[in-house]
Amino acid sequence: MNYRALLRHETFLAVLLAIVLVVLAWQSDRFFTVANLLNQGRLMTEIGLIAIAMTFVIATGGIDLSVGSILGLVAILLGVFWQNVGLPLPLAIVAAIAAGTLAGLFNGLIITRFKVPPLIATLATLALYRGLAEGISQARSVRGYPEWFYVLGQGEVLGIPTQLWILLIGALIASIILAYTRWGRTVYAIGSNEVASRFSGLQVEKTKIALYMASGFAASVAAVIFVSRVSTTRSDMGTGIELDAITAVVLGGTSIFGGRGTVLGTFIGLCLIQALKNGLSLAGVKGDGTIMLIGAVLILAILISNVFERSGSR
Amino acid sequence: MGRTLVSALLVLSLSTSLSQAQSTWTGGDDLPTSPLACDGTPAEAAAQPYDGGEPKNAPDRKGKEITVVDVPKLVGIGYFNATSKGIAEAAEAIGNMDAKTDGPSRANIDDQITLIDNYITSGVDGILFAANDPVAISPVLKKALDQGILVVGYDANSQPDARQWFVNQAEFNGIAKTMIDSMAAEIGEDGSFAIVTSTFSTPNQARWIAEMEAYQAKCHPNMEWLETVEAQEDNILSFNQANTLINKYGDDLDGIFGMTSVATPAAADAVTQAGECGNVAVVGLATPNAMKPYVAAECVKSVVLWNPVDLGYAAAHVLRAAADGDLKPGDTSVEAGRLGELQVINGSEILLGAPFVFTKDNIGNFDF
Repeated sequence: MNYRALLRHETFLAVLLAIVLVVLAWQSDRFFTVANLLNQGRLMTEIGLIAIAMTFVIATGGIDLSVGSILGLVAILLGVFWQNVGLPLPLAIVAAIAAGTLAGLFNGLIITRFKVPPLIATLATLALYRGLAEGISQARSVRGYPEWFYVLGQGEVLGIPTQLWILLIGALIASIILAYTRWGRTVYAIGSNEVASRFSGLQVEKTKIALYMASGFAASVAAVIFVSRVSTTRSDMGTGIELDAITAVVLGGTSIFGGRGTVLGTFIGLCLIQALKNGLSLAGVKGDGTIMLIGAVLILAILISNVFERSGSR
Repeated sequence: MGRTLVSALLVLSLSTSLSQAQSTWTGGDDLPTSPLACDGTPAEAAAQPYDGGEPKNAPDRKGKEITVVDVPKLVGIGYFNATSKGIAEAAEAIGNMDAKTDGPSRANIDDQITLIDNYITSGVDGILFAANDPVAISPVLKKALDQGILVVGYDANSQPDARQWFVNQAEFNGIAKTMIDSMAAEIGEDGSFAIVTSTFSTPNQARWIAEMEAYQAKCHPNMEWLETVEAQEDNILSFNQANTLINKYGDDLDGIFGMTSVATPAAADAVTQAGECGNVAVVGLATPNAMKPYVAAECVKSVVLWNPVDLGYAAAHVLRAAADGDLKPGDTSVEAGRLGELQVINGSEILLGAPFVFTKDNIGNFDF
């Protein structure tokens, strides 16, 4: 653990974010308004929840590619439990989230019991869960949820979008766990040296299974919020969201090889990407140009961070 | 394993088609039909109350310069390139309208919603859209209406109350009329024809066939309906089914309808390979690019679809008319530039007009 290097990356990101905000605000007078920023918070919640759990997973040197498919599967199950099985909606939500968490558990079991590399295992379940979602839904969507359900994805609490509260509370709890608990330090230890962790008596397998379950859980909560936001379920929901989440995590300074990363960094990375997407669009840049610029920023941020690390910490 | 499955499926589809052949069933559905008049007089518009939405506290935009964004299902494919070309053309002709196209790079509901949301924030005057999902897009469109933004859809609808107007590219009875009329022109009033469709339960195809049956009975009563076969929108199966029809009916077969964009080129291919070009006509729904070789070889004379350039052109005109107050709830028609008067149908939809027939002369102008 090198706190100084971590501090550097996040400070650098925060400065970058500030510069981006100033430039974008200067480009479009509609960007830096409370209404727009809150709305952006609403739009980034689903990716944010997944990215927070993904930070833990990547910090152990793993990866979870199946989150987008879990999101789609949970969305479909929510609709099926509610409409076809006839459960009351709150119960259907709980059941669907439980199913998504089980999907995460299944990931964890494949990875730990059968020693399949996380990349391969979750690539397989990415196809598996999406296939399940499509098979169960039969290309039909479920609509017409009761009005109270939309509060979650379209409503506000104390003037702030409902789901943004969930994201902020989730981020706070996650960063405390990762930074200040023994469990969080276990995550870093596994990422730094799995063999050494095992010999030190850390519960490597249990921790990993719990992480993939948490990742499935986060994707499930994101699914419920997503369904509430768009007021329908479709089997293709969340396609590609895993890449958005991984981008935010990596931009936030988490090492793809494990052992390094913070929730705060992920959160700043997330805000940076969302601000770029929104601000460039408001400044009149088209979708394809925005994607290119985000790619360039990602490379730049990681290059500069590497330079800092080399000159600073050794 | 795979082979047994395929052969089992083939036997199954064969047995269903055999049992179908014994009945006089044509593959249409049981819903009521409304065939158009034989001479093309527009159908009496059933007075249906306006069911679209209304922008809240919209400023007076009459005659003022407006900025409009066009958000198709996705960008980078020929079909939507054609619609945005039509929109750009209309904006240029109208003058006081600045239109640009920006869409997701994949047909993804979330990307499209986010994009529209950003344009609402940026303060456009109007949004043109082709929805990836009719329900998922509705909350964000309602938000646009709440902020006084004009919202007009084309190609793929949202829920009616989430937009003001929707430009409908083709009604079922319109497609049916054009298909049957084109076929009658090619094979004559006493010709006989067969149909290659996707499956008997595919809703759009079943609806088209039912309307075709009603229109043929009404306007071309001497044409003979031989058989309708299923081909699952599968390329090879469509080819085989068309081939079977040619062998089975021989000289009795004058024409084949392709009901899907897969079946039509496959049927044209089957006719070409059987050396029956000129003896067996092929008329069908298809995109121009797939049909260009057969149209160039004069094996196929008419390909029926709608003109996506006109679709975008009409959508832009409808939006301008709504901005100027020339198109209000309750109106029955709208002026759309070179397309003339377009009819309002189903409460808040604008019918693009008769379907477009691609022929040897015009097919080269389209790329989708």
